[in-house]
Amino acid sequence: MTTSTTSTPFREGLFRDGSDGPTLLAGRCTSCGRVSFPVPDMCLQCRGQDIDAVELGGDAELLCATTVHMPNRHFPPGHAVGFVVLPQGVRIFTQLRPVDAKPFRSGMPMKLEIAPLWREDDTDVLAYRFVPA
Amino acid sequence: MQDVVVLGVGQSEFGKFPERGIAELGGAAARTAIADAGIDPGDLQAAFSSRVYEAMITSQTILKDLGVTGIEMVNVENACAGGSTAVRSLYKDIAAGYVDVGIAIGVESMTTSPVAGKLIPPDKDDLDGQMGLSMPVLFALQAKRLMETHGAKEEDFAQVSVKAHEFGALNPKAQYRKRFTVEEVLGSRMVADPITLLQCCPNTDGAAAVVLASADFARKYTEKPVRITGSSLISGDYDFKRADLTTMPLGVKAATSAYEQAGIGPEDVDVVELHDAFATEELVHYEDLGLCPRGESVGLLRSGATSLGGRVPVNPSGGLLSLGHPLAASGVRIICELTDQLRGRAGDRQVPGAKVGLAQMLGGAATGLDAGAASVHILTV
Ligand SMILES: [Zn+2]
Repeated sequence: MTTSTTSTPFREGLFRDGSDGPTLLAGRCTSCGRVSFPVPDMCLQCRGQDIDAVELGGDAELLCATTVHMPNRHFPPGHAVGFVVLPQGVRIFTQLRPVDAKPFRSGMPMKLEIAPLWREDDTDVLAYRFVPA
Repeated sequence: MQDVVVLGVGQSEFGKFPERGIAELGGAAARTAIADAGIDPGDLQAAFSSRVYEAMITSQTILKDLGVTGIEMVNVENACAGGSTAVRSLYKDIAAGYVDVGIAIGVESMTTSPVAGKLIPPDKDDLDGQMGLSMPVLFALQAKRLMETHGAKEEDFAQVSVKAHEFGALNPKAQYRKRFTVEEVLGSRMVADPITLLQCCPNTDGAAAVVLASADFARKYTEKPVRITGSSLISGDYDFKRADLTTMPLGVKAATSAYEQAGIGPEDVDVVELHDAFATEELVHYEDLGLCPRGESVGLLRSGATSLGGRVPVNPSGGLLSLGHPLAASGVRIICELTDQLRGRAGDRQVPGAKVGLAQMLGGAATGLDAGAASVHILTV
């Protein structure tokens, strides 16, 4: 038996993976301009109610990274995580995928990848992670 | 406002006791605190208790075995700051004149909790939690920034743990009661780099309790009251508001408010108990509490000022790292330690002549916030 090939995003509205590459989906407040990820119900800076949908793209800069040597939620020992900063100044926590065992360093350019990160009920769960660009 | 004093303190044994229930752990601490206060359990007019895991009517479960019934009992939760929240809640009720004397209890059975032996996660539906965030991971990432911006070395983080265990070895109540070298701390199993196992608090079962009273009520029980001169509790703010991960703005706010209430500054503090669930975070709290200027926490640690015999010893109890960390108990337990220090009865770990103590606790993580809650209490004799 082969495993199922069905896949599902782990939450709706977080990212889009199109032919032009993956992007995180965010919201921009029409009053103060603050960009937030994920899309907020209201602006958390000025409490403005009008939020425009914006795409953050897939480029980011690494702020810091660590390798976790214990199992954590869906992730086995040895997984890497960190904070990345997107060009609009949005800082997010994310899984990281190392490439060629190259050490992560602050300031490293990173790019977004949408990938199956774990399985639930015979379904691949799609989520975001960043890899060195 | 009535002046509020700490009349009695009690702590259960700290360690791994899966066979002991909440009533047994909490009862041991509460009995000791009531006896220390010199009051009758029937004098208690209010109880506030805190527990993080599987909590339900914690106060009633503990106090029914001590003959305390039919009073106002409130049960609170604020992650690791839950115990501090119970203390502050009781403090406010006494200060406001609703009651004259009451008990605050923190208790946790970590070995029987759902997180026993695991990395403590945020709420199960939290976005970052689902993406793999946990408390040690958060502090490991902060530590990486401290290495970039503060010149902190792995040896510095290890030294925080060495210091904690030096104190803990002197505390009969400590879970570890064992000294470690920097090499041993660095050589222990890696959890989330740079944090090794000996830079993490252990899983601890235990409880702590304090009896608080109005200064008027306390007069007939003690001639040397330990006064609570500052008390603050602040919830987290949006993480996007801080440019720098090496400060926790809610901790700064909590400290500033408590200092203002007490009419003192950080330079007046003789002894500190703070949240060192992970060794690396202690450096951040030094700066957020104003124990040193911004950016100089590594220098403060290296100077020995916060060590045994230093200018302002931090965590003379052994801290969460060595004494142990039954989550909701710790916020109460730090009040117990400082009270013992200010009464001059802290034994081998006594800070000589301590007159002003500061107790800080931090609790919880949620996507988008700098932390869940921070609390600071200032005790004065
Ligand atoms: Zn806005």
